[in-house]
Amino acid sequence: MTLAAGLGYALIALGPAFSLFAGVVARKPFLVLTLLSSTLFWLISLIVLSGIWRGFLPIKSGAWWAYAILILTSVALQEGTRLVFWRLYKKMEEMLDAFADRISKPRLSLTDKMLISLAGGLGHGVAHAVFFCLSLLTPAFGRATFYIETCSKMPFFLASALIALGFLVIHTFSMIIAFNAYDERKKSDQVFVPVIHLAAAVMTLINLAPGGCLIGTPLLLVMAALTLQHCWRVACQRLTEHRHQQHNSN
Amino acid sequence: MADAAAAAAVPGDAPGGTTVLDSLGEDITRIVYPVSACMLLVVLLVSLLSSPSSPSPLSASIAAATGGVSGGGDDDIPTALITALTFVVAVTAATFLLALLFYLRCTPCLRAYLGFSALAVLLVLGGQVALLLLSRLRFPLDAVSFALLLPNAAGALALAALAPASVPIALHQAALVAIAVLTAFWFTLLPEWTTWALLVAMAIYDLAAVLLPGGPLRVLLELAIQRNEEIPALVYEARPVDPRHGRNWRLWREGRQPGADLDDSSTVEVIGEVLGRNLQANSGNSSSSQVHEAATLAGDVSNSRPRVTLVAALSSSDSTVAQVGEVSALQEHRVAVAEMSVPLIQPRPQRSGEEVVEDEDGIGLSSSGAIKLGLGDFIFYSVLVGRAAMYDYMTVYACYLAIIAGLGITLLLLAFFRKALPALPVSIALGIVFYVLTRTLLEEFVVQCSTKLLMF
Repeated sequence: MTLAAGLGYALIALGPAFSLFAGVVARKPFLVLTLLSSTLFWLISLIVLSGIWRGFLPIKSGAWWAYAILILTSVALQEGTRLVFWRLYKKMEEMLDAFADRISKPRLSLTDKMLISLAGGLGHGVAHAVFFCLSLLTPAFGRATFYIETCSKMPFFLASALIALGFLVIHTFSMIIAFNAYDERKKSDQVFVPVIHLAAAVMTLINLAPGGCLIGTPLLLVMAALTLQHCWRVACQRLTEHRHQQHNSN
Repeated sequence: MADAAAAAAVPGDAPGGTTVLDSLGEDITRIVYPVSACMLLVVLLVSLLSSPSSPSPLSASIAAATGGVSGGGDDDIPTALITALTFVVAVTAATFLLALLFYLRCTPCLRAYLGFSALAVLLVLGGQVALLLLSRLRFPLDAVSFALLLPNAAGALALAALAPASVPIALHQAALVAIAVLTAFWFTLLPEWTTWALLVAMAIYDLAAVLLPGGPLRVLLELAIQRNEEIPALVYEARPVDPRHGRNWRLWREGRQPGADLDDSSTVEVIGEVLGRNLQANSGNSSSSQVHEAATLAGDVSNSRPRVTLVAALSSSDSTVAQVGEVSALQEHRVAVAEMSVPLIQPRPQRSGEEVVEDEDGIGLSSSGAIKLGLGDFIFYSVLVGRAAMYDYMTVYACYLAIIAGLGITLLLLAFFRKALPALPVSIALGIVFYVLTRTLLEEFVVQCSTKLLMF
């Protein structure tokens, strides 16, 4: 595809990530490092996953149940990675708090913790978009574009960019919800995150059916919007609660 | 006092309050950004100018579909190993020669050598890359303008790279990155197996040369410490580029109360603090009578921690920076020297082999506490990423993350051990591992899933 179209697709997939990066993450260097390390984590989990599945590829195109198992295992592994990431984050938080005490500066505030989880989620989302969407986009500059058989109405790159955008939003904001839920030990939110992830991943199975991408992609974006709205609610609730606590203690 | 402390300790989102998070990790990002920029430029150059030697199935099929030609030509492992070995032997010999010259206090020779090699890289390599770019992008530029622009640009950048005191720091850093980009691009033109063998050989050499007692770089380092002199060489120092942040221009301090003015923007200090290393240091803090000032940039006072001694200029004739670090007698950490010189000789037998570039290896802390990274590290990181770019972009992303992770690990080790460390081995090892894993395992999997629009 032409340079303009390619750039457009890349921006569809990564535009919100760029603005989040420039507006929020780049201001604090620690968040940049968090983003890089969470991207690395996601990559390692993906490599482990592909190591497990390497023996079974290529999957025959008729066997959609094999893809379902693949998706189940992938989502399970990624949620496990999220837990591991949270444990590491807790250790880091302890070290940072100890350091802050030693140099008698204020400890990490609630906004700081939320920013760290945002950067972590953004790392996952960016890694996803880069490996699944961008890596196919960049070699394909030149003449002509690409359509796949099951999705003959939308250019392949557009569909892939939209799905990547949906998943970027889901990864970024579900990390905030998840960290919040682990922190406050709210079971409902702890379950919400894997369920949404699984639902979104299963929804991409619809793309295997002919003409499925016209249904699957908008549904995925609806799920992304749902995640965004839930995260908004959770964050607002937590912040107002916190402010009340502060007022009460002062 | 108690409630003020309590108020400060309550995690508040008061808009004016700054927490630890504001400036933590700033010095690491100040090294990560230039390394990333260098790698990005090399990847861009490689993708514009080189034809891939062994393209991935995806790129090859796309190229075939659009009528492109994929490059061929294979080289075998024995030749690669021999070439890499020759190169390492040559580099070792040259470093010993450099150590000898330094020992004989032949500083003008070293500086002349440095200047000549920087100029040669910028003029010859830069000129050829410019010509390739011009022909590839079909940019209309006539020969006369080119002949005027190239020597001027090369001379200006060489001067900027060698004399940081007389140019704005951004230009100095940009010139260093330019030299690294050009050298790295030339290395990516080597055949594939030779490049990988070279990277592995250089990583092993770096490890041996810095850490073994007889290694040339260590010898050079010890000479420099003994004599309180700086080895004239090309090293990238992550100074603040933005003069807005006043607190980044660290003023030099007389004494130091334990923990009171720990600079929380220096991650190395933070890690050291957290690991409890600073405790012994603070108890035995000597008076800072040994510390002097030295002018670093125009009008700036360079910082020195009380444990580090500064000595005035190396030679009165040149106007370049001559900061020097020395470990004071009581403490052993904060060794402030990390510069070593590694001349690079082009290993291609067809070429006349005339170019020798002087640059450095190793990572350490400068006397102002900023992290220094040798230009050789920039070059070899970019060579790895550039070679990954010749295969496919997925390997580029994976290798980039691996190299940055390796750099982070090296910085952690630096904070832990507080002496000059080789920056190549960890990153190159991780980079190669990730390259192999991506190429064998990841790519198949991801292409399978994403071409069916199946994502998770």
